[in-house]
Amino acid sequence: MFLDYILFEHPFFAATTLLYAAATAAYAAAWRSTRALVGQVATGLMVAAVVLNVTLVVGRWIEAGREPFKSLFESLVFLALCLGVLYVVMERLYRTRIFGLPAAVMAFGCIGYALFKWDADIVKLPPALQSAWFMPHVLVYFIGYAALAFATGVAVVQLLASRLPWVLRLTRLRAGTMLTGEPLDLDQITYDVVRFGFILLTIGLLIGSVWAKSAWGDFWVWDPKENWSLVTWLVYGAYLHLRKVRGWRGDRAAWLAIIGFAVIMFTYLGMGLLPTAEESAHVYTG
Amino acid sequence: MVSSTPTTATQGNPASAGEREARLTALLVVGAMVVGALAQVAIPPGPLTLVAATGIASLVVLGLSFVVPGRLRTTLAGFRFTSTLLIALAVFAIIGTLVLQGKPEQLYRERYGAFGPLIVALRFDDIFHGLPFAGLTALFGAAILASASLRWPISARRIGFFIAHVGLLVSGAGAAASSVLSVRGRIDLFTGGDVATQVRVTKGGAPTGAVAQLPFEIKLDQFDLVNYETEYRVGYYAKERVKRGGEVFEDYRLKTSFDPDLAKHRLPGGDQFRLKAIYPDFVTTPSVAPAASGGQPAMQVTLGGATRWLTDGQQVASPDGQLVVVFGWARPTAPAGAPTAVLISGQARTVVVQRADGAAEQPLAEGAALLGGYLRLGQLLPSAVVSSQYGTRSTEWKNPGAVLELNVDGRIQEQLVLANQPRGVFVQADRSALVFEKRDKEVKAFRSHVTARQGESVARAVIAVNEPLSFAGWTLYQVNYNPDDPTYSGLEAVRDPGVAWVFLGFGLICLGVAYMFYVEPRLRGGGIERPAAPPAQP
Repeated sequence: MFLDYILFEHPFFAATTLLYAAATAAYAAAWRSTRALVGQVATGLMVAAVVLNVTLVVGRWIEAGREPFKSLFESLVFLALCLGVLYVVMERLYRTRIFGLPAAVMAFGCIGYALFKWDADIVKLPPALQSAWFMPHVLVYFIGYAALAFATGVAVVQLLASRLPWVLRLTRLRAGTMLTGEPLDLDQITYDVVRFGFILLTIGLLIGSVWAKSAWGDFWVWDPKENWSLVTWLVYGAYLHLRKVRGWRGDRAAWLAIIGFAVIMFTYLGMGLLPTAEESAHVYTG
Repeated sequence: MVSSTPTTATQGNPASAGEREARLTALLVVGAMVVGALAQVAIPPGPLTLVAATGIASLVVLGLSFVVPGRLRTTLAGFRFTSTLLIALAVFAIIGTLVLQGKPEQLYRERYGAFGPLIVALRFDDIFHGLPFAGLTALFGAAILASASLRWPISARRIGFFIAHVGLLVSGAGAAASSVLSVRGRIDLFTGGDVATQVRVTKGGAPTGAVAQLPFEIKLDQFDLVNYETEYRVGYYAKERVKRGGEVFEDYRLKTSFDPDLAKHRLPGGDQFRLKAIYPDFVTTPSVAPAASGGQPAMQVTLGGATRWLTDGQQVASPDGQLVVVFGWARPTAPAGAPTAVLISGQARTVVVQRADGAAEQPLAEGAALLGGYLRLGQLLPSAVVSSQYGTRSTEWKNPGAVLELNVDGRIQEQLVLANQPRGVFVQADRSALVFEKRDKEVKAFRSHVTARQGESVARAVIAVNEPLSFAGWTLYQVNYNPDDPTYSGLEAVRDPGVAWVFLGFGLICLGVAYMFYVEPRLRGGGIERPAAPPAQP
């Protein structure tokens, strides 16, 4: 019955969700199919989903009359867009569709979860969020989150490839669904993307402190969300350092990238679970 | 990013060198925490303790690393050490979110039971000002300096490392200065009230009882509390189980809402509704039509340009209350209090104009003008059907009303709903309801118009959230207001000599990291590490 409501009242949202689901299925099929068309269809579905996702974000922006990042629902829709856009760029950059499945699963997961966090109403921006720093802060962080999510997807493929021979074959596939014929250095790709994400986390942290200073007069108040943002930064900092230590490449680095993303997810969604949540100015109420 | 020397694990016997480094790393990190924990038994935590302990311990460890034989300096400068330190700092940051910080001792006993005294004893209640944390930050500082010393001199291929690490030190020094030297406190101002010349000093948001003198005086000229424009919605509420105060009960919660428009809408339960008509400034107007029999008498009058129908016994008054027109089938009586009354009798077909000095009667004639044309008589219907019609006085949303048509399982019902008297229209009996209502009031801005004066120097400014005022070395932030007292404004005054250095350091970190990741590899001739270019598509 709720889906009926979504289909009728929010057809673009429904279409975006369906397209991400279809892209997930197509990328999954591309993992096993040797036909190039399957992969091309998967890419087409992903691009279509991203385009519709853009309309969702822009539509919400117009409807709300403000940046659409205020509630958890809005941020999930935006994160799905960041994941989709970043994946499409990465598919072009690395010339492989092997990461399409984890990327599509994550984008679909975000949109799907947004369904459960549906905004009952579009709220206005409170004075603290009416800042020129609001958009760059969210934008930088969410692109960073998307990059680190992508890195996690690569790390998962890397771990699977070391355990499942057919996944390993995929990473070296010359013809068929994958674009590149070269063996992929998954460890290196994860590292490259984590570096990119880490820079964005650093900039996001900086913007957040500058904003906090201009709004409340303090650049750091050890708020739970601030602390967990710092934890995220420290964990990825440790990843980047440990990779230079003997024995910390390969599976260990992949696990660390996955742990880093788990910390990001907790920072994003888990603040309400903390006993200090009531002290935080950052917990989503949605 | 943070530290970097060529890893020591690759020199000599890799396994044993690595093991030694790991052991020394563990010893240093655990040692710093244990020494800190023991030292804070005697030394109370606080910003000054943190900064002093960090600075002294950092220099001591660094000094030792230069004089103690062995691998202390290379270990301090190593990637393994830095990553271990980063993880240890992350653990502290996590503990700081699991244990409430800076609360009275009693609260820890109540909230954490047997662990309460342990938390207080270990100073986990103020973990970021404790000496174990200071020990870790000291090692962090020493690690940066040690790795810089091993990388000296600066070259184009290593400048990213130096920029990022100088950034870390600068922001750390700025944070230390901020922590020790900054002063912050509250100023409560009232429009037209006294001039403020001092702040009530706070620590962690709580007043310390101390005051700090401002080098200027400030007064509040005006305070604006601006709300967003009132909006209306059709809210869909559904009953659900909610937990509050340890009890579980059922309550209606807003699940979704719709703009008031004329479109058909689907509800989450599958039912449908639409607003058949919307009246921004709702009013009911009587509609009168002649009836062959069984109706009631009605008389149309135009008073001061406004036309309306009066039924038997009804009256209408002029806006100033000086004139009352009463219609009755039989002869009506004048109401008390009105200086002039016009009494219209339908049966007798007469009009009586009654004043304090007497009354004058004349025959009722449709279209007749009385009182200099202020009152005109219209049609008289001896038998009429009178009904109410919904309408709007204006296009302004003053008193919104709507006709809501609900379609539940094919059964259609209509209901008038008024936003100023919101009542639920049940969709599924006792489970869900629609309410046409005003949205909650939302604050858009609160702004203080202030005048700050220091000798001849005067600044007039508006302080709002995100728009602070900097004056004479202090920055004033808008932090509070009282919805019940529009004359009150709460400001936070801050003097923070370290903040600029913190941001400068952050900027340098961003710059250095980007340079390290994307420029240095190119300078080394390796280019950006990336898979080889793919072959042409098969």
